[in-house]
Amino acid sequence: MTTVFAAAELNAYLPVLLLVAMAVTFAIANLAASALIGPSRQGAIKSGTYESGMNPIGTARKRFNVRFYLIAMVFLVFDIEIIFLYPWAVTFPSLDQALADGGVWLGRIGFFLLTSIVAYVYGYRKGVFRFD
Amino acid sequence: MIEKLQSLWPEITLLTAACVVMITGQSASAAVRRLSWSICAAALIAAGLLAYSTTAASGHALPHMAMYGKIVTCVVGLLLLLMVAGIADRAYEAEVARGKTVFDAIRATRGEFYAFFMFSLTGLMLCFGADDLVWLFLALELVSLPTYIMVATSTSKNASMEAGVKYFFLGALGAATFLYGFALIYGATGATNLVQIHSAFAAQIAAGGLNTIGIVGLILAVVGVSFKIAAVPMHFYTPDVYQGASASVSAFLAFVPKSAGFATIILLLSTVGWLPSSDYPSGALPMPVHAVLWVMAVVTMTVGNVLALLQTSVKRTLAYSSIAHSGYMLVGVIAGPGKGDDFASSGIAAVLFYLLVYGVTNVGTFAVVAAMQRQNRDGTHSEADRIEDLRGMCATNPMMGWTMVICSASLLGLPPLLGFFGKLPLFSAGISGGHIGLVVILGLNSAIAAFYYLRLAAYPLLESPDMAARTSNPITQVPVTGRWLAGVLSVVGVIALAIWPVTSAAKFGATYKTKVAVPGGQVAQGK
Repeated sequence: MTTVFAAAELNAYLPVLLLVAMAVTFAIANLAASALIGPSRQGAIKSGTYESGMNPIGTARKRFNVRFYLIAMVFLVFDIEIIFLYPWAVTFPSLDQALADGGVWLGRIGFFLLTSIVAYVYGYRKGVFRFD
Repeated sequence: MIEKLQSLWPEITLLTAACVVMITGQSASAAVRRLSWSICAAALIAAGLLAYSTTAASGHALPHMAMYGKIVTCVVGLLLLLMVAGIADRAYEAEVARGKTVFDAIRATRGEFYAFFMFSLTGLMLCFGADDLVWLFLALELVSLPTYIMVATSTSKNASMEAGVKYFFLGALGAATFLYGFALIYGATGATNLVQIHSAFAAQIAAGGLNTIGIVGLILAVVGVSFKIAAVPMHFYTPDVYQGASASVSAFLAFVPKSAGFATIILLLSTVGWLPSSDYPSGALPMPVHAVLWVMAVVTMTVGNVLALLQTSVKRTLAYSSIAHSGYMLVGVIAGPGKGDDFASSGIAAVLFYLLVYGVTNVGTFAVVAAMQRQNRDGTHSEADRIEDLRGMCATNPMMGWTMVICSASLLGLPPLLGFFGKLPLFSAGISGGHIGLVVILGLNSAIAAFYYLRLAAYPLLESPDMAARTSNPITQVPVTGRWLAGVLSVVGVIALAIWPVTSAAKFGATYKTKVAVPGGQVAQGK
């Protein structure tokens, strides 16, 4: 049984580890500092639910319009699109010039984009963007 | 790379059609909405023609299976398309046409239904042409995911919803199982390409034996895929789902996922090959895989046939018959490609041919259920699904009655019909492979099956119509042309394909090469 990870391989992750440690330390230090040196005055409004400056009214468990669900679904299409576009865009410049199959690669991503456009046309036809 | 793209023209055609009908199904104009069906039909015909020019996958163990599979997909796909006509939105469109309501795209399901139909067929074609585990997995899921929704939306009854949910959760279990199997195969060989897996396994056999992880992976993959082919141990959903879904969608389930599953099993097992041994001189699978498949085949056909005897619903009977037919086909898988160059000894050719036979014949029996409706006391209609409803149908509705008689006789394997010519090669391949015990069980099971197939044939043919029941709950024909037409075309196929020598096509599709060339000559070795 050979070692799964050589120690040298882990060295590459040292900056990441340092960054994580810095982030954790920063958060703990700030919380600790404000608890230690900050003034502490409690009140009914101050200990209420923070609602971006608005007065909190009613329950948080309200029913949402089902359209939000449809919008979220349409948004997912965008999300998936960017997930595939990004690696494609990174790889595209490093294609072998001699093979000259750049056109095929462009055609593929074009076909993929076309399918997501179809998804949008479908959503439009279904009336997802109609708010009335 | 561009060559691979060229072999995918049939799939691209179907995919494009799916995208188009998704839009036309929502159109405000009723004429454009009705066009969706014709677009699907045109795409299937075009894809079938394009599939003829599919080039052989060089280096692949089964270089011609893709072409055969794609053409069969298009042929049976057209029959199924006729059957699913009028499922989506029939009641809603009637309301719109009478001016009772204004068409609202969000309530219509026609576009989605046809799009999912086409997506599933695209997946089936991709399965036949797969040369990589990842591709195979994605293709299998493309077959299955649309079918869950097709089942749930095929009728407005709650039973369809229940069937869809059951089918989805058990499907997820099956997918997880075979995906785990795929992962173990990758772990044992270090490759996802089927040709490279083949070479890695060959190297392991030459070095003294197959990797245990690889064998476990193959077994898990086969057991997981048994969900798609409705074989034991993953057959439990079949009767409930077939009964809950509309009969047209049940016919779709009996052909499309089953074919995808068999294509997958054959492709996976071709990586270890059917190796000659002292017991089985013309070749058998590695012992553990062979044993698992043997038990699966025997239990599947016995369970299917025995439980079919107890059913009073036509759709449930056909569901158990679908399980039994998977068991029959597993005999061909166990027999393997055979040593000789003839059709009779090749189990793979027998399976590929049987898929066509079963697809064409099965459409006929389901078409009868789909085409007939029974009026309930409250004036609504339900499918004529009870075997009682078939009573005397040859007298009251000769066209559908005789469709039922001929197609169930063909499923039984009565000699002049197509089913006989489908089953015969399974027997001959099993015998020439030396699997005598299996062939005896196959014969016994065919005898058990005679009981319920003859019941399906005798009710319309020999019984006289029950007039009292007919006046209280009249059985009428559904006014959708596609459904009876599918039944009639299925009967034409059952008779014509028995005469026309299509077995040579299956033989061509099952061309098996024991030596495969690795692309680039490099094999990743893993332990």
